[in-house]
Amino acid sequence: MPLLECVGLSRSFGGLRALRDVDLSVEVGEVVGLIGPNGAGKTTLLNLVSGLDRSDSGSILFRGEELSRSGPERRAALGLARTFQSGRTFLNLSVRDNVLLGAHARRAASRSGAARWAIELAEALLRPASLRAEEERLEAEAAELLGGFGERLAPRAADKAYVLSYANRRRLEIARALASRPALLLLDEPTAGMNPSETLETLEYLRALKARGQAMLVIEHKLPLVLGISDKLVAMDEGRKIAEGGPDEVIRDQRVVEAFLGKASPKAGPEAGHMGPASEED
Amino acid sequence: MRNARRVSITILLALLAGGFAQAQGTEPILIGVSGPLTGPNAQYGRAWQKGFDLALEEINAAGGVRGRKLQYVFTDTQNDPRQTVAVAQKYITDPRIVLATGDFSSTSSMAASALYQRAGLVQFGFNNSNPAFTLGGDYCWSNSPSDANEAPAQAAYAQVLGLKNVAVFQLDTDWGKTAGDLTVAALGRDGVRVALREAYLPDEKDFKPSILKAKAAGVDGFVFVAYASDAALLVQQIRGQGIDLPIVANGANATADFPALAGKAAEGVFVAGDFSPDDPRPEVQAFAKKWRERYDEDLDYFAVHAYDSMKLMAAVIELGGPDRKAIRDAFGEVKDVPSIIYGKVSFNPVTRKVDDFLGARLVIRDGQFAVWDGKRP
Amino acid sequence: MGALLQSWAGQVLNGLVLGNVYALMAAGLALVFGAARLVNFAQGSVYMAGSYAAWFLIARLGWPLWAALPGAAIAGAALGLAIEALAVRPYRRSGGVAPLLATIGAGMMLDGLAEVLFTPTPRSFPNLPFTARYSLGPVSIGGLDLLILCATALCALGLLAFLKLTRAGRGLRAAAQDLEAALQMGVRAESSGAAAFAIASALGALAGALVGLYYNFISPSVGFQAGLKGFTACVLGGLGGIGASMAGGLVLGLGESLGVALFGSSYRGLVSYGLLLAILFLRPEGLFGRRGRGVALSGGREIGLGSFLPLRGAWRPSKPLAAALALAALALPLANPGPYVLQVLAGAWISALFALSLSFVAGGPGIMSLGHAGLMAIGAYASGLLTLKAGWPFVPAFLSAGLIAAVLGAAIAFPALRLKGHYIAIAMLGLGEIVNQVILNWDSLTQGALGLAGIPAPRLLALEITSAGGFYYLSLAVLGAGFAALAAALRSPLGRTLRALREDETAAVSLGIGARSYKTLAFAIGAFFAGLAGALTAHLYTYVSHETFGSSYSILGVTMAILGGLGNLWGALLGALSLSALPELLRFAQGGRGIVYGAILLLALRFRPQGLLGSE
Repeated sequence: MPLLECVGLSRSFGGLRALRDVDLSVEVGEVVGLIGPNGAGKTTLLNLVSGLDRSDSGSILFRGEELSRSGPERRAALGLARTFQSGRTFLNLSVRDNVLLGAHARRAASRSGAARWAIELAEALLRPASLRAEEERLEAEAAELLGGFGERLAPRAADKAYVLSYANRRRLEIARALASRPALLLLDEPTAGMNPSETLETLEYLRALKARGQAMLVIEHKLPLVLGISDKLVAMDEGRKIAEGGPDEVIRDQRVVEAFLGKASPKAGPEAGHMGPASEED
Repeated sequence: MRNARRVSITILLALLAGGFAQAQGTEPILIGVSGPLTGPNAQYGRAWQKGFDLALEEINAAGGVRGRKLQYVFTDTQNDPRQTVAVAQKYITDPRIVLATGDFSSTSSMAASALYQRAGLVQFGFNNSNPAFTLGGDYCWSNSPSDANEAPAQAAYAQVLGLKNVAVFQLDTDWGKTAGDLTVAALGRDGVRVALREAYLPDEKDFKPSILKAKAAGVDGFVFVAYASDAALLVQQIRGQGIDLPIVANGANATADFPALAGKAAEGVFVAGDFSPDDPRPEVQAFAKKWRERYDEDLDYFAVHAYDSMKLMAAVIELGGPDRKAIRDAFGEVKDVPSIIYGKVSFNPVTRKVDDFLGARLVIRDGQFAVWDGKRP
Repeated sequence: MGALLQSWAGQVLNGLVLGNVYALMAAGLALVFGAARLVNFAQGSVYMAGSYAAWFLIARLGWPLWAALPGAAIAGAALGLAIEALAVRPYRRSGGVAPLLATIGAGMMLDGLAEVLFTPTPRSFPNLPFTARYSLGPVSIGGLDLLILCATALCALGLLAFLKLTRAGRGLRAAAQDLEAALQMGVRAESSGAAAFAIASALGALAGALVGLYYNFISPSVGFQAGLKGFTACVLGGLGGIGASMAGGLVLGLGESLGVALFGSSYRGLVSYGLLLAILFLRPEGLFGRRGRGVALSGGREIGLGSFLPLRGAWRPSKPLAAALALAALALPLANPGPYVLQVLAGAWISALFALSLSFVAGGPGIMSLGHAGLMAIGAYASGLLTLKAGWPFVPAFLSAGLIAAVLGAAIAFPALRLKGHYIAIAMLGLGEIVNQVILNWDSLTQGALGLAGIPAPRLLALEITSAGGFYYLSLAVLGAGFAALAAALRSPLGRTLRALREDETAAVSLGIGARSYKTLAFAIGAFFAGLAGALTAHLYTYVSHETFGSSYSILGVTMAILGGLGNLWGALLGALSLSALPELLRFAQGGRGIVYGAILLLALRFRPQGLLGSE
């Protein structure tokens, strides 16, 4: 059974058909890259999967459970986590707090259904030992996650997120997403705005994640990155899936080449690579 | 030698005592007033000041009280019970204040009654007509015309005018509710049917829906339990609908504000007043003349009642002396104090209220209050 | 049958006339909202100013009607430009609800100014024109009725023409649709915003002048309610659409009049605010608005508090300093300052508890609870009724009052909590009003207009607390407990979760944080303490009514919280003390209170939006 299975997803905004009957699946431990020109519907698809938006039609099965009725809370509890294209860390909270918040769905309170409020209140006002223990455990995990980025985040754990550089904030966002130990990590252009060395570092980090078996769905414009980690590529254009398969065959697919040449091209520059004949000439 | 010392000490002490008495004698006697000087009821606080000031002029010109000047200090409470309570604390701890008076509404006053009672300072709620006010204790006194007297008088007036089926419009406040209940009961006893009873909020402007309802119910007259500003609006809107039926308003509308705000619509409105400015009694006429000279306006119930009350307080302090406890006792002992509104006033020592009630049947003619001539509309 | 028809026809006409006035107000509000994305709470005060302008021109200067009405409108326009320049433009860059709060401050100042200039005594016109009445079938229609209907129709046509045919008008509409695109097309945002304000204020002033004439009643205290009714009309019709808002005004006028005709005059508020809340909860885009305009609910541009407050550097006293302050507060009565001071301070502690709870709700999850005083009212009546009518002892009644306020408050606020930005502010204001209206009309439970009198003094075991000193310590104790609890909550994981919601709700939700549930929980916690503050008020002052905890107190509470710094509990304390001390210090300034409070709010928002002590 695939980890994630989307069938026939469609979404329109007013007169604009953002997604048309898209199918997509991700297997356990698989990394799927999602590429396409701007406006292809990639972020819309991600929003539907993560629960930020609701599809007009189609179904989303996660570990066999139909998700389209569930809100983001349920999806987080099931093991979905995401990052945002614009990078949305909690700037006025500390680095550590950001990561701790990522683990929200795993806290005892969140798993207790209706008793949740009693637990939250108890934790807020009484600080019982059991809940303090959980908090300490989560703090240790957070420290470990931050440590995964070397010296970039860990020494700054107590600082507010707004003092971090842009690249660090994006790393923080990934760390936060990982705090929930997601079965599937959804990444929306994780290296947008990063310079070449930062992008490379992120690629290494994601490779390490993949080696540990983390399933991911990655939207990216930078082809070397997406080619570097994807087991499978899905290409979209104008709301439709136009190609799917192994990375090498998809990027050479005629329809994909046309889609990219006809629209805003992917990031120019040595770190991005080009499509079709141009890249071969490089 | 010892004799001389004793004598000189005695003389010294006598001089000191005399000096002290002298100092005491020049200190004014202070009354603490709590009332609205700002906020929605501010106009009444100002009316009080006018009445107080005129009364004090006369009192102090005639030698004051027990040889000392009488003065008041007025602290603004905006008729807010929380402020009434805070001001009560202030007055209680000011030794110069021998008597406290106010506030504007019974509920504001009642919020502070317990404090005054416990501290042993008389709270003279001269404007508080709620029957429950004086139940606060033996330091709570009121010379306000009781709703229990006014209401039946108003009902009788309506009945005598020939009304049989009325619409009652009452202000939806603590006072309006209590007075309204009493009025409706009295109307019932007098055989006048209440077809419709509308309670409206103090800031209501649009009475037309209720007026139309009354019209549809086929009433033959209107009875108001209202203050001047809302009564004025009511009257204008009733006449504006082309309804010429008789209107009987309560005593609080015996104020120049009412015809001033209502304009032509006030013509012919009947007011069940507490006293008549046309009362032939010489003291009333003299007073009205003096008032017009001093303030260039007609008599206003609130101002006149304040004048009366200040005179009453002076009489009480004269009788009991400037001592808080003695003043409480004096309230129960004072008899037949001259009063514009009552003629002569005494307190019922058991209820601590005034049983006297003159009442006057007034009607508005040419913007002035005149005594009703007995002619049915 | 004829009488009934005549009666109903009369009611409908009355409703339409009233509705036309609401439509004028609503048009002005919609214009400003559309052009500047701003809810203008000063509109009611401009309405009031318009009525005084007309009165002054006609009664004092002797102008004829046909000149005085435009004169009042022009005065309104000038006032509107002043408000835009002084109370709106400087606050734009703060974003979020700062401009909204600034207009509230401006409104307070105008109301206070009017009270000082004209005194609270109502005025009237000496000789009213148009008093003739005409019979039109089953209805009797007066000259003033016709005047209002015509004036509104003319304004509507004029407005339509302006918006469709003139360049400036088209620019305004473009800005309303898509500000960025309009800017790129050369529409000057600043002048179009100012123009919108000028026109909107002219309309509001005209409405005020017409109503002043209609009822022959001019008073400085009518502004707030008029503004609130204007909003209700807008929301009813559909905020942002001028035609929709005007239609909403007509619906409101009709609904109100018919409601009063059916149920009685005291139900007016209940009907109008009931309509407001029903629309906000069931169909936030309004009766005539287009679904999915996205402003009301999630999505669209979020106008929450997170963007408004720079949260850096909240000052908090060090432990020794905090201990010293607490000790000073405890020791104060021993210095024998007198019962007056102690009584005032007891009141200040209660206000502080109220401000704390507001600050928590605003600073935690970022809910601008503009009707917070309604929670106090619930607590006050709960405790009052339990002790007075049901004979409960003080302590259980007091604690139950907090719980009742928490549960009831959360329940009635719950539908509002999914709204965003301006909508939630208006909804909260409406909820605060509704609580008091229900208290007023539910006679059998609350004694209605009589209020609750004779509420027993607090009693702890055998000790009855009746002295000023006793009140002081009791209030201080409850404040201390509240402070400790709220501070603990803000430091806990719950506090972290709430702050995440305020910072970036979308991100928080993606982590699985249930926005609505957590906001409700935070609101309930805040409501508990607000309820306790209300209960304390009831027992300390022995009397409460539906007027004790009105909207002005809610707004004062918000001022206190902002002054101190949202989410900063020490700041709320400081803000409450400062503002409680003010009436005492200002006793000499008759009626100047509104001016001072408004000025404080405006200054705080402008120069230190993070508050005196910084936001948490």
